[in-house]
Amino acid sequence: MFLGPSVFEGVPAEFRERIFRGDRMPEGLTAIADALPYLLQGSAVTLVVVAGAMALGLFLGVPLAAGQVYGPPALRRIIGVYVWFFRGIPLLVFLFLFYFGLCTALDINLSAFTVAIIVLGLISSAYQSQIFRGAILSLPEGQLKAARALGMSDLKAIAFIILPQALRLSIPGWSNEYSIILKDSAVTYALGVAEIMARAHFVATRTYQQLPLYLTAGIIFLVLTWIGTKSLRALEERVRIPGYSPHGM
Amino acid sequence: MSEPILRIENVSKRYGRKDVLKGASLDVNRGDLKILIGPSGAGKSTLLQCINFLVRPDEGRIWLEGKEVHYHHKRDLYAYRQKVGMIFQDFNLFDHLNALENVRIGMVKVKGMARAEANERAVMELERVGLKEHMQKYPAQLSGGQKQRVSIARALAMDPKVMLLDEPTSALDPELIGEVLSVIRDLGNNGMTMIMATHQIGFASSLSSEIVFMEDGQIIERGTPEKIFFDAQNARTREFCSKITDLYGEKRG
Repeated sequence: MFLGPSVFEGVPAEFRERIFRGDRMPEGLTAIADALPYLLQGSAVTLVVVAGAMALGLFLGVPLAAGQVYGPPALRRIIGVYVWFFRGIPLLVFLFLFYFGLCTALDINLSAFTVAIIVLGLISSAYQSQIFRGAILSLPEGQLKAARALGMSDLKAIAFIILPQALRLSIPGWSNEYSIILKDSAVTYALGVAEIMARAHFVATRTYQQLPLYLTAGIIFLVLTWIGTKSLRALEERVRIPGYSPHGM
Repeated sequence: MSEPILRIENVSKRYGRKDVLKGASLDVNRGDLKILIGPSGAGKSTLLQCINFLVRPDEGRIWLEGKEVHYHHKRDLYAYRQKVGMIFQDFNLFDHLNALENVRIGMVKVKGMARAEANERAVMELERVGLKEHMQKYPAQLSGGQKQRVSIARALAMDPKVMLLDEPTSALDPELIGEVLSVIRDLGNNGMTMIMATHQIGFASSLSSEIVFMEDGQIIERGTPEKIFFDAQNARTREFCSKITDLYGEKRG
């Protein structure tokens, strides 16, 4: 299965044979055409990593944001430290720290693929929490007051009144976060995750077709960014509150 | 004489070193319409928000129907707030919900009412404020007067014992004030107990049971509309009343 830890597993048989027999290597467009199915499988890996990380970031980021806005002072400080920590250390350092450091030290057996999702997700949760926090703070204070006046607990008010509005306002920031995680996911190639970059690198170093292959990898990323941001823009339109146009658009 | 439905005793609030409310006390009987008047910054809004603890008073006690509100207990607080409807100057409708959902959400999420039943009641309340045909519209698609009427329907749907109205017409265009006042007038005629801060003294003098003049965080003077508007004891009360009479026209509404 192409989600597996080894980059080599998914290499098409024909292509693999050619590498090992030492035949004349394909060049230019042929090289791209030969490697494309293999790279596209990699984009599926990339998308699963990105989706997993975004989901984890959302799952953690929402309570972090709510806690940082509405929580008691001690909780706010703890969340502040969390955000500082995960925004302050480079992704590559985290990946190595987690995969080679923590997993080895604690004798946990996690695949590079899983570690990639966890690390990208944790980092994203710090960034996403700030997207949501900004959105929550932009809502008029009266929304919470009105909810409380009806007898809602703060938890209910946050769940039914604040978040449905704040999440809508977060979509543009979220779209930004998507394009950043998408590109960051290429770094996980350093752990051997069989994503786009790892595969492009694998083929490029064996066929000596660096330019066409890295170019193809770049174009795949561009297309994925375009599809993702377009979809989120469509989502933004879809969930837009009728008549609500803060900037007269 | 029956006991007051709402009893407010010695409520105070400080922000930093500023006393915004200095020991206000008020007894409200069933069916009363108390009108709070006074210059801005007098503490009218703070008093109203202290009454349902949207602003935590530093001191003071409150009884509803003879039972003291233990607002430090969340369960007590939430139960009490359901019985005290609040109308805000700037409406505070939930922007992501249409008129019907705005009225329904409290019944469903707070009272745990079944959806169908809540829906029926919400339609009824919107009909009462004359907005049945607009129930699918979102706040951004409604006029200010319509928004305020939805917010009144939202409060009424919770079956409140008392309604607090914090300058409900101050954010409205002049030609929209009438439709909101007429809804409030109907409420009063149907026996709803209300405390309302307003500058609409024509409305106040024709309907209210008592006018309460506040200044500088204190209740300065109270009495019937006749007494406050024509025969006030306090010089500041007289001065304020003559000013707002000039501004808002007719004393007798």
